[in-house]
Amino acid sequence: MRHRLLTLILFLALPAIANAATIVATVRDSRGIGVPDAVVYAVPERTASPSRKTAIMDQRNRMFVPHVLPIQTGTSVRFPNSDDIRHQVYSFSPAKPFQLPLYKGTPANPVVFDQAGVVTLGCNIHDRMSAYIVIVDTPHFEKSGADGRVTLNVPSGKYTVRVWYPSMRSEPAPIPMTAGASDRNEVVFTVR
Amino acid sequence: MGSSGDGLPFVRCFARVRSVLKATAVAALPLLLALPAAAQQLEWSGFALLRATSGVDSGPLQSDSVSSQVQLGLDWTPSPRYTAHLHLLGRTETDEGTRRGRAGVVEAYVDANFRPFNDRLRLRAGAMFLPGSRENVDALWESPYAISSSALNSWFGEEFRPIGIDATWFHRGFVAGATLFRGNDTLGALPVLRGWTLDDHWILLGERIPVDEDFTSVSAELDGRFGWSARGGWNGSMVSVSAMHFENRNDGLPHGSLYGWGTRWDNLGFELTRGDWTFIAEGGWGPTFLDVFGTRYTSRLDAAYALASRRFKRGRITVRADRFRVEALRQNAWTVAWLWTPPGHLRPGIELASAEGHRRAIIELRYSFSGH
Repeated sequence: MRHRLLTLILFLALPAIANAATIVATVRDSRGIGVPDAVVYAVPERTASPSRKTAIMDQRNRMFVPHVLPIQTGTSVRFPNSDDIRHQVYSFSPAKPFQLPLYKGTPANPVVFDQAGVVTLGCNIHDRMSAYIVIVDTPHFEKSGADGRVTLNVPSGKYTVRVWYPSMRSEPAPIPMTAGASDRNEVVFTVR
Repeated sequence: MGSSGDGLPFVRCFARVRSVLKATAVAALPLLLALPAAAQQLEWSGFALLRATSGVDSGPLQSDSVSSQVQLGLDWTPSPRYTAHLHLLGRTETDEGTRRGRAGVVEAYVDANFRPFNDRLRLRAGAMFLPGSRENVDALWESPYAISSSALNSWFGEEFRPIGIDATWFHRGFVAGATLFRGNDTLGALPVLRGWTLDDHWILLGERIPVDEDFTSVSAELDGRFGWSARGGWNGSMVSVSAMHFENRNDGLPHGSLYGWGTRWDNLGFELTRGDWTFIAEGGWGPTFLDVFGTRYTSRLDAAYALASRRFKRGRITVRADRFRVEALRQNAWTVAWLWTPPGHLRPGIELASAEGHRRAIIELRYSFSGH
């Protein structure tokens, strides 16, 4: 019975797997060193429907964790305060200006980010606290690790691959590509 | 030094400080006019505490045997870019054996935030604690580590409150700031004439703290000169460092019956956070002087502390070592504090301190509240 179920699941999933492509992106600086915390995202030709997911931006030891949080447009973000002191989170970025009242614990309502862009977070009490929420119009995004590499698994189709990183002054040229089924597409962003 | 009986020069200095506060109020007026539409952005938070102390009459641990405080912060944010902050405090205190109460304003300022070149610039105008303390990092300049503050931050809380304009620039992990302020012309009198203390006696605007035959007040502007401060720092994921310098630029001369104190101060701070552990070291040094009949008397001051604090699920334990000096008189203090943070609004705490042959125990019950 269990084997039949597994076979059925594989059978149903096979077209999707066979239709999937991989985009491997490397973000590196002019010296060839990988750029961490870079958000690489592949925007499909057809507009993706907004996300209804929830993400977490924690506050620990007077730091936002993570420092960079990529999300899809429409995602709700909770801002728990794991410290034993109060924080007052704010953003005055055009993509989502907001402020949470001074609080400990988890505020009752999450914040919905419904416009693409970059939101810079701060805390009115603690000057050292700073973080970014990167809101993208696609479900295909990932944040680079220390090596500056990102792997995106996407359905085959046409995409524009873009990048954002914390110290970015001007965006590197987006890379258009057609990702065929089972393709492995490598892209490199060299940033200043 | 003169007596504080003649209030005329003080009236004059208050008039100057009042003009600064008035300018701040004028700057805040456009924001206030929008109040009905934005009343929902008004929030309040604070705490009330009751404290029993094994009273010590003198020395660095001097304190009342029973005391209470209420502190309230009002924050009005018509937009995330602008904030107006008012910090009020009421406390009981003993004055020559008589119990009495005192209430007033600790801080009152407006903030404006800008985002030039993907960085952040914050302008602050009004009466404020100088940003940058490593220890007093909670809202309302409270310390999450112990009941009392270190000698260094006790002094800043009790005798230093810049009244002016502060600009802070944030660039990734780097921060740089500068302040131009009035008032604080008697800064330095407390450690020299009374000595360093370990407490949390935040001075109110306009309050006079008696020292020797005179008094000290953050609102005292005697010679019309601006004081200034500059600071810089770097914050990493675990380590942060900072440096700060300030001068009140007072002439050290008598103005009517009240002497000014000219004080310069350099300050360094270091903090390491790893998991639930926090290690902090902060210290400063500098001269303060006054001029008596043409002779300048200078006192060298320094104060430093190091603390280790471990946070638990429902509380925190902190051990702090203090070292402070006025000229050749060097003193030390040890403090151990346990703060219990059960769910809800209450925070009981116990603190034991030892300094120069004196011992002090404090039991505190604190109730926090907030709303908007």
